[in-house]
Amino acid sequence: MELLDRYLQAVRKYLPARRQDDIIAELRANMESQIEDRESELNRPLTQGEMEDLLRKMGSPVMVASRYQTQQYLIGPAIFPMYLYVLRVVVVWALIIYSIVIVAVIPFTSPSASSIADSMMRIPSVLINAAAWVTLVFAAFEFISSRYPGKCPPIAGLTDNWQPSSLPPLEKADPSSRKPRSFTVAVAEVVVGFLLIAWLLLIPRHPFLLMGPGVVVLRVAPYQLAPVWWTFYWWILGLNVLQLVWKTLDLARGQWQQPAPIRQIIFKAVGVIPIAYLLSVPDHTYVVLKNPAADQLQYGHNLDLINNAIHLGFSVICAIVVLQLAWDIGQMVWYEYRRREAAR
Amino acid sequence: MTVAENLFESLRLELRRGSLTLAVLAQLRQEHYGYTLRKDLAERGLEIDESTLYPLLRRLETQGLLVSQWREEDKRNKRFYHLSPDGELTLAKLQEEWRTINTSLNSILENPESQSSK
Repeated sequence: MELLDRYLQAVRKYLPARRQDDIIAELRANMESQIEDRESELNRPLTQGEMEDLLRKMGSPVMVASRYQTQQYLIGPAIFPMYLYVLRVVVVWALIIYSIVIVAVIPFTSPSASSIADSMMRIPSVLINAAAWVTLVFAAFEFISSRYPGKCPPIAGLTDNWQPSSLPPLEKADPSSRKPRSFTVAVAEVVVGFLLIAWLLLIPRHPFLLMGPGVVVLRVAPYQLAPVWWTFYWWILGLNVLQLVWKTLDLARGQWQQPAPIRQIIFKAVGVIPIAYLLSVPDHTYVVLKNPAADQLQYGHNLDLINNAIHLGFSVICAIVVLQLAWDIGQMVWYEYRRREAAR
Repeated sequence: MTVAENLFESLRLELRRGSLTLAVLAQLRQEHYGYTLRKDLAERGLEIDESTLYPLLRRLETQGLLVSQWREEDKRNKRFYHLSPDGELTLAKLQEEWRTINTSLNSILENPESQSSK
């Protein structure tokens, strides 16, 4: 019986303190009856091996004790779908707000690569914190509602008093039957957008972020960038901010799956403007001499070559963007045609 | 255990869960303690693990469907259970429900061709 005592002692450890004695006494009585029955069948005491078999069949002490506990959830199945939804929304918004803070604050405080890296490294802990708070609130709600039913306010959508007429309108089927963007892709686009803007904002103070080691060459070379690049820079920055705001609003309104094709086309068309502006610069003056009076004779020819090369490069880029734009417009017209045909 | 076997085992347990409660309530129209109840059920073809049956008895008692008392029998203290008045009412309703489900299931399982969707 020593093995039985050891078994019951192990079970006791996992039982609620208030009911330990009662449960163990009952288990002991049942098991002793079972052992006695078996022994009278065999007409001899059980061997150590037979006793072990019997206990093994009964189950491990943890498992046996767990059956005496009421089933408990940190977050129960009734509110789990809502928990997942809120968790997703909160984590996304925590990421967005934190990214805004990084982009807005860092360039004006300590715009160094290490401070940016530090801010990036803090992202996981910010997200874990946000998720922990959401989990804590839902766990508290589950705890209170399971112990004091009726005291907690009902969660909208989880009671019988919901109205079918309050369901959202039917979403329009996409006639183009393009694969909808996933939530992960939409979030990644917003995050990358923020990082891109942070990078753009840092470039004026830290040109190496754009040119790398070429900065040293530019510093010692007799050439410098013409003021026209500032106009181009602000155009690019403005376009990226606008696109990011739009994508963030889509995410917030839950409309990330099918961005309107017309919007993509508008962005592409507006994107042509800064390129066209660069191409329209008089005399293709993209790079100028730091000291024209002294260097014109020596470096004037090279300067013309550089400016013409930049102009040629942007002409090619402009042609590619215009072709892409034309292709997108063509596709949009085709989709619209198919949609109308399908509607007939 | 393969995935299919796991799935079958999980479905089997789910199917048995409700019926076990009904069987235990029905058997406890007469007084029993845990071990003899398990033996009686096993003799009638319904095997239940000890680790399932004993906590189930406690749960049904907490829910007011059983009553219990400690009593000495064969020089050993044992906890005897039997149906409470509430338990008797619930058992009658569950029996009725069981018969309805059983009739419907038999009809569905044995005569699949007579489905209404035909």
